[in-house]
Amino acid sequence: MIINGVTIDETFAEAFPMKGTRLIITALNAKWAMISAQTFTGFATSVIACGCEAGIEKVLDPSETPDGRPGVSILIFAMGGKGLAKQVETRAGQCVLTSPTSALFSGLESETEIALGQNLRFFGDGFQISKMIDGKRYWRIPVMDGEFLTQEKTGVQASVGGGNFLVLAESQEQALAACEAAIVEMKKCPNVIMPFPGGVVRSGSKVGSKFKALNASTNDAFCPTLKGQTKSDLSPEVESVMEIVIDGLTKEDIDVAMRVGIQAVCDLGAENGIRRISAGNYGGKLGPFHFHLQEIMA
Amino acid sequence: MSTLTFTLKSSPEQRIDCSLLTTDLLADKSAAEIAAIELVTGNTTARVDSLFDISGDDDQDIKFNNSDEKLDFVGRNMTGGKVTIDGNVGAYLGLFLDGGKIEVTGNTGIYTACEMKSGQIKIRGDAGDFVGGARPGYKNGMTGGTVIVTGNTGDRTGDHMRRGEILIEGNAGDYCAGRMISGTIAVLGDVGAHLGYGMKRGTVLLTQTPSQGIGANFNDCGSHTLAFLPLLLASFSKFDSQFSSIDSFDRVQRYAGDIGGIGMGEILVKI
Repeated sequence: MIINGVTIDETFAEAFPMKGTRLIITALNAKWAMISAQTFTGFATSVIACGCEAGIEKVLDPSETPDGRPGVSILIFAMGGKGLAKQVETRAGQCVLTSPTSALFSGLESETEIALGQNLRFFGDGFQISKMIDGKRYWRIPVMDGEFLTQEKTGVQASVGGGNFLVLAESQEQALAACEAAIVEMKKCPNVIMPFPGGVVRSGSKVGSKFKALNASTNDAFCPTLKGQTKSDLSPEVESVMEIVIDGLTKEDIDVAMRVGIQAVCDLGAENGIRRISAGNYGGKLGPFHFHLQEIMA
Repeated sequence: MSTLTFTLKSSPEQRIDCSLLTTDLLADKSAAEIAAIELVTGNTTARVDSLFDISGDDDQDIKFNNSDEKLDFVGRNMTGGKVTIDGNVGAYLGLFLDGGKIEVTGNTGIYTACEMKSGQIKIRGDAGDFVGGARPGYKNGMTGGTVIVTGNTGDRTGDHMRRGEILIEGNAGDYCAGRMISGTIAVLGDVGAHLGYGMKRGTVLLTQTPSQGIGANFNDCGSHTLAFLPLLLASFSKFDSQFSSIDSFDRVQRYAGDIGGIGMGEILVKI
């Protein structure tokens, strides 16, 4: 398949099951809601070392938030419910509770729930106040700037992590420009995040390593400087490869985001140095969700 | 299906225990069976059809017409459906109510919503003493649901109240929120003396400063912006009440008390 001179490989991205939730952070103004959200989602690029993958889903208008203040919705994913609960609690405690004027709400309803403010309330040292509003429990925790309001629990749902595609270009500048264009469009999609810096990964990995201590290592087949040293998957004209990783609440959400992102890359086309779109494919060893590029772009 | 209607034939000489006439207990009963139910009145019993004219057949939508303040225990233990009372009603309306909706066009007697668990009670007139309270000798009042009073409430509103909401569009009497354990009482009008006496936790939300002031058993914590208030006020929007249309606010003067006890209750006065 070729779109605007860009070859779409007959391959698929492999993704794996995760547990995810959506949180809504509000603050006195949009600036501080964003600061709190960025802090919460910091160091959350990959479960390999961060314990979770998190990112900002959307900036919310005051009319879209529970307390009528400016807000940001974030998505956070982990490999299991317990791990997710731990990450949510520690990040909420250190990054939202501490952030001036913030409040924290669940943005996902589900029968399965994990603690949000349930344990943070003890920071109130006995002065915390519980409020049941519309069947949901909230905690009001006295803090030095007033009161920190947080919902007691948030819903958790089975999600998908690790959807991805690779952008193969003739130069770093062209690969980066294409990825930036893709991220702009993909950020408009609901229920997904691209957790890596700016949404783009330059150090895609393969499963395993020659070093026993590591379970992932550089994806040498896509490293342009190794074209003469390893079994390369790159043609001579490809000088840079960048990857976009997508986590989503459902497989369908990732399908949509990948289609939008790949289309944005292809719109730049061969004339802007984009040669191929490929994907992280590990022969089915990584996960049960397979995103076939050509099917997505059909 | 039409509303199952009980029209009181005449003003009763003795109080009548109507706790058997609920949506739960009348479900799937025939007209003859309903007519034959014996209600306790005074020191004897009387058949339902000797006290009421009965019409309609929807046992999940019950109405009392020509109601009287001697009809007690209406809606007791009910878990669903709707009961409408045209007129006044007696004591213990909605005792142990655990779902459904009760609406009264007139006034209610004492112990309205006593130990109510969930559901909604709407009173278009005034309510008696001990709204949402606990039975004498018991320690927990209402534990959930919403009571809306268009008029005024008597004394000791929310006595021993543990959870839920009491929304009063008029005035509340003396000892409002006395011995309150938790929950929310909101009053658009005035409140009487000894507000929050013995209050442990919970919130009293006032849109105006009480004419009798705040008692010495509450300490002034200053003026604050509280983020939960817009959520709370927004949750009132679903009700058929003045509370659904009040402008949202988050600025209040906060008083904590009763400092004679654990002092974790709060009175919030809109500023």
